[in-house]
Amino acid sequence: MLRRSLTNQRIEYVYIFLSLLLLVALFGFTTDHFLSLQTLSAIMSQLPALTVVTVGMTLVLIVGGIDLSVGSVVALSACIIGTAIVSHDVPMILAVLLGVFSGTIMGFSTGYLIARFSLPAFIVTLGMLEVARGMSYLSSDSQTVYVGSDIQKLALPITGIGISISMIMALLAVISAHFVLTRTIFGRYIIAIGTSETAARISGIKIRPYTIGVFTLSGTLAGLGGLFNLAYIGSADPNTGIGLELSAIAAAVIGGTSLMGGRGSIIGAFIGVLIIAVLQNGLAQLGLSEPSKLIITGLVIIFAVLADRFRRGPNRTDT
Amino acid sequence: MTRLVLWVFLAQILLLPGCIGNDGETLPSESPRIALVMKSLANEFFVNMADAAQTHQSENSQQYSLIINGIRNESDITQQVSIIDQMIAAQVDAIVIAPADSKALVPALARASQAGIILVNIDNRLDASVLSEFDLVIPHVGPDNKEGARKVGDYLASILAAGDQVAILEGIVSSINSQARRDGFEEAANARGLIIATIQSASWEQTKAAEITSAVLTQHPRLKGVMAANDNMALGALSAIKQLGRLDEIEVVGFDNISAVNKLVREGEILATADQHGDLLAVYGIEFALDTLAGKEVQYGRKTPVDLITREILQGRD
Repeated sequence: MLRRSLTNQRIEYVYIFLSLLLLVALFGFTTDHFLSLQTLSAIMSQLPALTVVTVGMTLVLIVGGIDLSVGSVVALSACIIGTAIVSHDVPMILAVLLGVFSGTIMGFSTGYLIARFSLPAFIVTLGMLEVARGMSYLSSDSQTVYVGSDIQKLALPITGIGISISMIMALLAVISAHFVLTRTIFGRYIIAIGTSETAARISGIKIRPYTIGVFTLSGTLAGLGGLFNLAYIGSADPNTGIGLELSAIAAAVIGGTSLMGGRGSIIGAFIGVLIIAVLQNGLAQLGLSEPSKLIITGLVIIFAVLADRFRRGPNRTDT
Repeated sequence: MTRLVLWVFLAQILLLPGCIGNDGETLPSESPRIALVMKSLANEFFVNMADAAQTHQSENSQQYSLIINGIRNESDITQQVSIIDQMIAAQVDAIVIAPADSKALVPALARASQAGIILVNIDNRLDASVLSEFDLVIPHVGPDNKEGARKVGDYLASILAAGDQVAILEGIVSSINSQARRDGFEEAANARGLIIATIQSASWEQTKAAEITSAVLTQHPRLKGVMAANDNMALGALSAIKQLGRLDEIEVVGFDNISAVNKLVREGEILATADQHGDLLAVYGIEFALDTLAGKEVQYGRKTPVDLITREILQGRD
């Protein structure tokens, strides 16, 4: 049984990966320079924030929740790091820890509220979306905080390796989350809880710590996303990350994660992130008008999910 | 009997607003109430504007009282419409508004106009054709965005050579500010023989501007300049250029003169931006509203100055 599901998952990667290749080929034909090292490096520098946020989102979706607050938490973390460095002369390492930890606290509070009072994740995280956004305006005094090139070193490719520290950290997050999900008891339990909370409870799994744990992870990863966003741009913008939660949900679902919980794949979600990044970059190179870009992006998301549905067969209704 | 009492009660409630309005007019000692309806109070530009308005009011507290309202994100039109309706209900004497959308706000403003409220449009200009549809004349007090962008574009062109390629980053495409600035950039580029490689929207956002700029630089490797319709997008473009290590080859210009960009202009990383004295914009609007309320003869709107900001100009000021 376990063996079969593993094989299934591998086939799943192949399908999503084929969609990604198709997209790359399409842009390769329609633009002059899409298939270039420069495009690759541009995409690589944009990936880290969305990647870590999507990893968190995927885990939350698998346990049967949803986290709408991640975009705001990204902004909060970036603003805290930026303000700490610029206005309070806090050493960079400490500022970074503060920022990421602010994500941890937001995630923990969210998870605690959901688990302790059995509240719907949708509403609690919607509330947290507002709270975190307000706090990021507060911490940055509603101003764009220019931090400068020191923090941008994180996002610059290391000579010799060709990828940045941000990207390495993001890839590590993908690999370890994949390992946790597929090879540990924690992973197996969150899949069980997401499949049926009642069944999981009856078989003796304590639901609360797992829910809190997953949301804390998601918050921490969003905090890390804030760092990566700040490192990419070099300044902290309190308005950053609006709508990021939707990109993360789209990436997770394109990657085969079920919105109803119990099913999902980190590697698939990462390929989903790649699809979204390739799409953004390719459309910008094509130089299409804003309306066409939005329509095409929306249609690609819908087609990716549709393709997934057809492959699973019409009777599966769990996506 | 009870029904009669109920009707009298209802009638009183309905008549009540009228009574208050009349009292206000007959009492000359009561100072007018002006509502300032802003865009995002999360944006530094509008925060400064609101602060300056607040200061102006406290210095002139005998003359008028001020209610400031803002929306959460710049494109939240619905919230701004409901603020206008609340201000109508609050029976303010004048509304000074920076509209989140040039067309969508007009119907709500028409309601305010019908309620006898004096209207002044600051920042981006309301759409003339929609205004005429509602038979409305709302004076505009604000900067000439096109002229400002043309000055910035002109300065960029003076650094580059004819035939060089530039990219234009516009804001949210439906915004008239964005369109005016884009037009100004285009005009300057065409007049000086620059080639516009691409015009794309980054929705006023840093991250999006960085993503688009890096894609554009891949597609147009010989690009020499990026003209961004606001400073946040200029910051995004700058980070993408830095990432590619091409800071020496490509010039970036912006618009708004926010503090982060002012610093970078001083340091030479961003070539130029435009200062439309945004902090005073709301004050200009309030003064215009006060003049109108006082029955002074006012023109159809006022043009406020837009200045070019470059390294030399900033050093000259020190």
